Amino acid sequence: MREYFLRRLLQSLLVLFLVSLVTFALIHSAPGGPVRIYLTPGLSQEAAKVQAHNLGLDQPIPIQYVRWLGDLLQGNFGYTFKNHIPVAKILWPTVGNTLILMGVAWFLSLIIAIPWGIYNSTREYCLSDQTAAVISYLGFAMPTFWFGILLQELFSLKLNWLPLSDMYTMGQARNILNLLPHLVLPVTVLTLGFLAAYVKYSRSSMLEVLFQDYIRTARAKGMPERRVVFRHALRNALIPIITVLGLDLPILVGGAALTESVFNWPGMGRLFVEMAMAREYSVLMAITLLTAVIVILGNFLADILYAIVDPRVQLAGRGGRSV
Amino acid sequence: MKVPLLEIRDLSVGFQAEQGILKAVDRVSLKMEEGKTFCLVGESGSGKSVTSLSVMRLIDYDGGDILSGEIFFHGEDLVRKSQEEMIKLRGYKLAMIFQEPMSALNPVFTVGDQIAEAVMLHQNKGKKEACQDAIEMLRLVGIPAPEVRARQYPHELSGGMCQRVVIAMALVCKPEVLIADEPTTALDVTVQAQILDLLRQLKAELNMAILLITHDMGVAAEVADQITVMYAGVMVEEGTVEQVFSHPYHPYTLGLLKSIPGYESKRGMDLYAIPGNIPSLAQLPQGCRFHPRCVLAQEKCRLEEPVPHDLGSGHMVKCWLSESAEMSESTAEKR
Repeated sequence: MREYFLRRLLQSLLVLFLVSLVTFALIHSAPGGPVRIYLTPGLSQEAAKVQAHNLGLDQPIPIQYVRWLGDLLQGNFGYTFKNHIPVAKILWPTVGNTLILMGVAWFLSLIIAIPWGIYNSTREYCLSDQTAAVISYLGFAMPTFWFGILLQELFSLKLNWLPLSDMYTMGQARNILNLLPHLVLPVTVLTLGFLAAYVKYSRSSMLEVLFQDYIRTARAKGMPERRVVFRHALRNALIPIITVLGLDLPILVGGAALTESVFNWPGMGRLFVEMAMAREYSVLMAITLLTAVIVILGNFLADILYAIVDPRVQLAGRGGRSV
Repeated sequence: MKVPLLEIRDLSVGFQAEQGILKAVDRVSLKMEEGKTFCLVGESGSGKSVTSLSVMRLIDYDGGDILSGEIFFHGEDLVRKSQEEMIKLRGYKLAMIFQEPMSALNPVFTVGDQIAEAVMLHQNKGKKEACQDAIEMLRLVGIPAPEVRARQYPHELSGGMCQRVVIAMALVCKPEVLIADEPTTALDVTVQAQILDLLRQLKAELNMAILLITHDMGVAAEVADQITVMYAGVMVEEGTVEQVFSHPYHPYTLGLLKSIPGYESKRGMDLYAIPGNIPSLAQLPQGCRFHPRCVLAQEKCRLEEPVPHDLGSGHMVKCWLSESAEMSESTAEKR
């Protein structure tokens, strides 16, 4: 287990390093190069040289890379072109906001979808299963922004039950009581999206396991059906579900650009859309880099969870054992 | 007469399909006594496994329905029992082992845990005691260093080892009846012999009855006391191992015997195979189910289903040819 953990950790670090190289290369291959982007148009050649020197852009590329990496590790993502605000100052609050929104939606969809999928797998095509199927179709087929607008129309404009958008009502204390009503609509939209996938995954994963020979062995031992499902089947069914969850982890931070835009949620997804419009490369790069880090982290976590759930995984790297 | 330990009477099992109910097992009867091995023999699709799963009432989970008949165990009809009642019997008084030892074990639990679990389900024992029982059982089925093996996962064991583990799991509560569904089919020939020996030895030690399902007449000859030959869901011949092997009557039994390599065949000769395939349950032939593949089939065989015929001392055959003495002699000649 320890060996496996270390191996995966080293692999992740290597990938992180490669990601940083690629990101750095991307910045340098941006149209006109970093100097042009960074400098105000109409600046004289001399002034530009001075500026480039001040910014360290006249240094050899490897040195620039090391400095850039050093800054990154200290949480310095650079500055925006407009107003020269530190990127970190814009970025981190949006990460927190996105985490709140996505975390609630994700958690909610998980605690509904996994038990529901398990239940449906034991009673294929029952009413509950059919309902889940319909909800899945809706969740997959309906564009989230459209569903969001529908909810706003009904619950905010017509019924006036819930706030239309934003995270907090302006001019009021920013506490949980203020936050909760604002969460309801976007969380509903996002939960439906997650739920659509997870309820299907958990159902099909369980169904596959329930037809395995070892499930019949468990029943032949005289095991009550509940124990067969929750002890012998679930643990095996969780293995593919963990993969999906690990792959979905970046969404938690990356946010849902469309939903956040519709509900004017000050999260990272919306920030990305806004900054893309404003061509703020430094912010976009920071978001890209952060997302890449979370992708790697998600995969790493999924692999570690794998090894905990499935004893066969640890041997994979050693080529397995036959006897 | 003594009450048999397990008695199946006119058991019919069906599966719901588009065409209606398909009968996978049609009026099968058999009696098992303690300390004896009973073999169900037939090709794939002849209904052997369905019969055995019905005894365990595991067929319910595979979408099968017991349509009629009774299964008496200690005089109690298992068909009428609820799954809750069956849970108390399964793995305790009635145990079963399966064809594919590798996939019959749960990959995410250690083999020791899986055996101990069977103990804890049926006997009022703590985890520690159950684990001790599991290790003892692993030793009994001939696994070296059982303390070490108990902590290993199925993928760390070979196929033969896994089958020993499966046997240990089935026998840890000392069942009265063990159902073994093709226990050696997935194993190497040398391992096959070891497992059969093991079953024979454990049967004597625990004085249990074994219902062995196999398609291999060689295996049946090796371990059986009683043999029932099944074809397309019906019994075609039954008798003691001597009766069936020394005086096989049904053309299908003969075909199975001839298919054993080395039995009446010489090196270089083609192995004998019964022509044709077992019919699908949706398109069972009229009359005798075996007639399309039977070299001796006559007009009557095509029209009417044969009735069981007693050849004396429990040797039953379901074949029209056995009805009249001349015919049986003529079949004997043709053999």
